[in-house]
Amino acid sequence: MNETNVLRDSPVYVVGIGLHRYQRRSDTTYVELGLTAARSALSDAGITWPDVEAAYTGTALLGMGSSRIMLSRLGATGIPMTQVENASASGSSSVAQACLEVASGRSDVVLALGVDKPRGGLGAAPSQAGIENLESGAVVPFTHFALLASEYMHLHGVTAEQVAKVALKNHRNGASNQYAQRQKVRTLDEILAEPISGAMTRLQCCPVGEGAAAVVVASEDGIRRLHLDRSRAVRIAASVTRTEGLYDAGVGIDAALTAETGSAAFDQAGLEPSDIDVLEVHDAFAIEELLYAEALGLCSPGEAASLIESGEFDLGGRCALSPSGGLLAMGHPIGPTGTGQVVEVTRQLRGEAGSRQHPGAQIGLTHMVGIGAVCVVHLLVSD
Amino acid sequence: MTVQARHPQLLRLTDPPIILGHQCIGCRRVAFPPDPYGCERCGSPREDLEELVLEAQGTVRAVATVHRHHQPSPATPFTVAVIQLTGGPVIKAIVAGAGVSVGTEVEGVLVQDVEDAEGNILVDLQFRVMT
Ligand SMILES: [Zn+2]
Repeated sequence: MNETNVLRDSPVYVVGIGLHRYQRRSDTTYVELGLTAARSALSDAGITWPDVEAAYTGTALLGMGSSRIMLSRLGATGIPMTQVENASASGSSSVAQACLEVASGRSDVVLALGVDKPRGGLGAAPSQAGIENLESGAVVPFTHFALLASEYMHLHGVTAEQVAKVALKNHRNGASNQYAQRQKVRTLDEILAEPISGAMTRLQCCPVGEGAAAVVVASEDGIRRLHLDRSRAVRIAASVTRTEGLYDAGVGIDAALTAETGSAAFDQAGLEPSDIDVLEVHDAFAIEELLYAEALGLCSPGEAASLIESGEFDLGGRCALSPSGGLLAMGHPIGPTGTGQVVEVTRQLRGEAGSRQHPGAQIGLTHMVGIGAVCVVHLLVSD
Repeated sequence: MTVQARHPQLLRLTDPPIILGHQCIGCRRVAFPPDPYGCERCGSPREDLEELVLEAQGTVRAVATVHRHHQPSPATPFTVAVIQLTGGPVIKAIVAGAGVSVGTEVEGVLVQDVEDAEGNILVDLQFRVMT
């Protein structure tokens, strides 16, 4: 893990953010979804499309060649465009690629976009690898995480009600997010109703819909040359991608991978878990938020459930966990999700999150895992 | 009429049933499921992976009852467990019957899965509380 710290030598900033609301699948084309987010990010940055030198589109489900037919409607400027696929972390990887391109000096202003429209079934490659398993057909993702919940609850003496309080918080946060797919405050009884698998109920599983998220990143030179508002720029202090290693039998892969990736990101940025004010994690299922809060070092193993219960991870608490509503409430349209996390954390670090604003937010983290398994973590700092 | 395993590369239809894993000659790593490509620890090719016989017996590490499923089979509700095999690897499998919780000792049992028009039977491995 000997990564040259290009981000310290050549800082990269988020200078523009935009979203199309995450929603149930509709007749809206992906082109319309993507253009809405892209136009909004350009206008937020105070730049025009010809200022953008390259684009990366994070998408897992659209099929080949999605970028140009969409982005050329901003003007066919002929810039390089590349699709980025990394399962649920596709949008995070579009940001990582854009960040790397700017840090490398090849471009000063780059667009990272996430857009998707699920078409029923995820078509994941690992299921075509020709590797048989006993549980295939019986264990789908929600049961994988229900089993992790069972182990966690047994190991730490945590109840199903305590796990459900993750969803209680995230539905409450999502209720004040105009871009969230689910915008409704829920009671604990509502969250505990409708069992799906083990402790996981319908409202503790994320909705997979459609949407788009866009981020414009720029170098120091780009910011100077285009006279961008430096006070609203948020620095990307770390961008780390890791894939699953070999762990001891029975160790939760997603949490072990998260711990490695998070630790590498903190090293890269020279920051500590206790520095984090706001973070967005891959809470596709409620139990995941507890596992990742602990794996990222925000608290000790087994401690996250009681900290959620006592409000330490609420907006205004010790640090705000999933202020957007997370995947559980904002939604998980796959391609956009990781890009959307960077949008939310940037909004928080600028102090522009309105009724969802976490007071004094200066340092934030985004985290996605995806089938593979892959993990992408970004650290963002308001200098 | 034939009797076949739903997962022929993973099972031997003996009584009691046998689970098949692999052990790498290069680094001695034990793994389940047996891999058709190579060793994830040392990169040895498939020729260097030896079949490893595992007892269908172990301890439940986690358990979940599934209430919603995208296919008619298995019929809901059914119970899935994470099982630490006595031979080392950790697997996931369906557990039949009541009384399963974390720490329960379980053993493998062959269950008739499907019977086609020719009367052929597909059997699969499930687990039950050890008798
Ligand atoms: Zn080996």
